[in-house]
This record gives sequence, C-alpha cells and structure tokens, in this order.
Amino acid sequence: MTIELDPGKVARLLTQGSRQLDAEIVSALAGARQNALKRQALRVPVATLSTGGWTHSLIPHSAQQWLSAVLLVAIFAAAAGYWHHAREQQISELDLAILTDELPIEVFVD
Amino acid sequence: MYFLQRLIAVDMRSFFISLLLLSLLTCSPVGAAQESWKSLTAAQQEALAPLAQQWDELTENQQNRLLKTTKRYPHLTHEQKKRFLDRLTVWSKLSPEQREAAREKYRAFKKVPAEKREQVKQMVRQEQERKTQQAASGVPETTK
Repeated sequence: MTIELDPGKVARLLTQGSRQLDAEIVSALAGARQNALKRQALRVPVATLSTGGWTHSLIPHSAQQWLSAVLLVAIFAAAAGYWHHAREQQISELDLAILTDELPIEVFVD
Repeated sequence: MYFLQRLIAVDMRSFFISLLLLSLLTCSPVGAAQESWKSLTAAQQEALAPLAQQWDELTENQQNRLLKTTKRYPHLTHEQKKRFLDRLTVWSKLSPEQREAAREKYRAFKKVPAEKREQVKQMVRQEQERKTQQAASGVPETTK
C-alpha cells in the first residue's frame, strides 16, 4: 500500500507544526541558525574597507598562518644554513689543497 | 576547491612573510664577532703561527676559513705542513677576488688529465731546480 504525498499538504503540516513548537525548541533552533550563519559568513570572501593597503593581506591573522610562516622560515633558514656550510666547507678544502699542493702558489695566483 | 583556494591564500601569505623574516634574519649581524689570536687553541695557533701578528686584522670570513683548514692540519705530512706554513702569509694578503681566481684555476687544473698535470708539475720542478742552482752559484738570472 502506497501513500501519495502531496508536497503542498506536507508544507502546510510543517508550518502548522512549527507554530505549535515550544519556546525552548524555537530558541534552540534560532541559536543553531545563527551559529550556522556565522560559520557561513567566515567562508564567504567579503569585500572590506581595508586601510592597510596591499600589506594588509600579507600579515598573518591566525595562529595557523603564523605557524605556517614560522615553519617556512625555519625550512628556508635550515636550507640556507646547510647550503652556506657546504659551500664554506668546499672552499676551505680547496684553500687547503692550494696551500699544500706540490705546485707553488704562484701557479694559481695572478 | 574552496579548501584549495584557502590553502593557497594562506601559503602565499606565509611565503611572503617568511621571505620578509628570513631577509631580516640573514641581514642581522648575528655571529659577526671575530676571534682574537689569544682565544685560539694551541693547535690552531701552531697551524696559523705565521699569521700571529696580523690575525686580529683579518676579516671574520677569512678567519673562519683558515680555522676550518686547521682541523686537517695535524693529518698533513711534514712536507705539506711546511708548504702550508710557508704560503699562509702570501695567501692571507691576497684580495678576496685573487683568492677566488686562484680557486677557479685550481679547480680547472684538477680537471686536466693526470698525464698533462704531471707534465706541468715536471716542468715546474725543473724550473725550481734551475732557480735553486742559479741562486747557489751566485750568477744573477738573465732576462730573456
């Protein structure tokens, strides 16, 4: 046995039912709606009147952004430090080789 | 898609702020202190003895590079140690550009086939012997 659902009837029933809800339930639903709207507002890019110019968008605003920035700085610093150390090591080895080579230093120096 | 856009936005911002912070870090004079001759260890002073007088006037970069070479000084042969000590003063008086040019020449020379390198060494040895003999005989060198 199948029941034919009339969308109009269902809507009317729901409207009627919502009018008969307790004040507590109405308040909880209103609160949930507000929360949902707040979350939605965060995700939608909104044009704001910024006085900071283009630099405003470069400054991290959240802890997550600061963490990302600090991590990237740490990675860059480590890479730069490693590169510098390796280069200096290579140069000091070359210097030692020149200073101790069988050929006199004048051969390599103008 | 939204998440990706958000991630890119965050990462781009972090990237630029990182570049800014890193440039500040690399421009800061951290570790710019020079080491005085007195602060060197006995082993370092032994390896750099010819530079005792002018050590404090050398740049920090020069000092650091020379200090690195002293780590391997104890492992050099007697002959290598002698060459090292004999050449230190001349080397330290060269300009940074001259030292860099010398490194380039040395690198290039190392790429020459071993046979040709040996020929050059042989020629230099003969030239040195000739000069030594000439100096011993007291005959002044004639210009060609």
